[in-house]
Amino acid sequence: MRIMLVGFGNLGRGLSRAFIQKAGFLRKAHGLIPRVVAAVDEFGAVIDEKGLNLTKLLRATEKAGTVAAYKGGKRGKRALQVIEEVEADVVYELTLTNIKTGEPGLTHIKRAMRAGKHVITSNKGPLVVAFRELDSLAKRCGVEFRYSASVGGAVPVVGLAKKLLAGNEIREIRGVLNGTTNYILTRMSKEGVPFEVVLREAQELGIAEKDPTLDIEGIDTACKITILANSLLGMNARLKEVKRAGITRVRPEAIRLAQEVGCTIKLIGIAKRGSLEVGPKLVPLGHPLAVGGTLNAVTFKLDLAREISITGFGAGPKETSSSLLGDLIDIHRTLGG
Amino acid sequence: MELEDVPGQLVKALEPISRYGGNIQSIMHQREKKTPLGRLPVMLIFEIGERARLNRILAALRAMGVRIVRIGEREGAVRTTVLLIGHIIHTDVRDTIDRLNALKGVMVSDLSLAMGAPGQESAARMTIMADDEKHKNLVISSMRRIADRKDLLMITSLEAE
Repeated sequence: MRIMLVGFGNLGRGLSRAFIQKAGFLRKAHGLIPRVVAAVDEFGAVIDEKGLNLTKLLRATEKAGTVAAYKGGKRGKRALQVIEEVEADVVYELTLTNIKTGEPGLTHIKRAMRAGKHVITSNKGPLVVAFRELDSLAKRCGVEFRYSASVGGAVPVVGLAKKLLAGNEIREIRGVLNGTTNYILTRMSKEGVPFEVVLREAQELGIAEKDPTLDIEGIDTACKITILANSLLGMNARLKEVKRAGITRVRPEAIRLAQEVGCTIKLIGIAKRGSLEVGPKLVPLGHPLAVGGTLNAVTFKLDLAREISITGFGAGPKETSSSLLGDLIDIHRTLGG
Repeated sequence: MELEDVPGQLVKALEPISRYGGNIQSIMHQREKKTPLGRLPVMLIFEIGERARLNRILAALRAMGVRIVRIGEREGAVRTTVLLIGHIIHTDVRDTIDRLNALKGVMVSDLSLAMGAPGQESAARMTIMADDEKHKNLVISSMRRIADRKDLLMITSLEAE
């Protein structure tokens, strides 16, 4: 399969490493030979229809900070140009999330679909801003569209619901969907350290961003709830419809009061038809959503299976490449590979 | 109930409740409100599975000289816990509780407070007993309105709504 990587940050590099590491496995187990024919970042692009050497691509990028440093690469070459000009089967859209406009990812995805290319993305922006539009555009263009990595990192939230639980009506989805806030709440509950101190520690460890607003105000979780509501509950929800509270007011004393009655406090996103919500909740210790550290967890409430919960790593380039690679194999199978 | 004002009475009075499988939820011991006969009024809330066991508890209490003044029962009652974070004292916690208790079929049965440093927000945990699910939802939504007005962050239990 000919693959185009649009965006070559942590996730693009993590995926490339997975391609290298698992080349033999993909061929033997799935009959899949991924050939990366183009890679683009904000500074330029590199194209080779015979397939780029990913080890060299990683090395060149690490040294110069752009894929354009690879032999034959072009600085200033734009993603849209590459998407239209280069023949490829699948476009990975892995640029940074912008939840206000969805750009540049939104335009990348639309152009790729119109050019008849299948799309896999981890980018929440386009999904939050225009899920319905993208979903129907994919159908109109006759291309596959996958976004497993946008929610839950390595945790197969979308795939589990869409494939293995397909016989159920999903009544409700609730989850711990943000590793940063879960880390902060876990540390506060274990050590009794104030919010500001744990936040600084999380920033030093690279678990929290320099500007942590999206995480601690619950906006990232609200984005994921919007995506799940649209993709799994058939809603046409907007981000602003999610009732939202973050964790900035949660203090260790409050967690202690919760612990005294056998509970802890978690930032929970809840999606059900007619009500989308993100906020701190009392969760009984031992409950499937009472996961620690940076873990994510999701519980589905279903008409037949009643309840199914899954847990796993919600972030990290290697972990997320599990979802990105899974989507590729899924498309390969769908197409009869 | 009313207890003699001598040491050890409260503990003694609690014993039959646990012996017959009662689950004590709150104890309000009001030392400043002595009765004319010098006895201490105590309000107890506990959960118990069957009426027969309740009767055994009452008999045991009476046998040991405890005066039971009033009994209120709520069958099928549900309990829920809610945390509040904010300027709980300054926004009149008494008023918050009174407003909830004013609702029919609802009672705040326990309150724990963790004070923040001066100027900082505090946290409170409330246990609320409601006659049934309907009344529980009622009290939660009315609490949400109070919390909004007093700028308190309200944290409900995951199973509460």
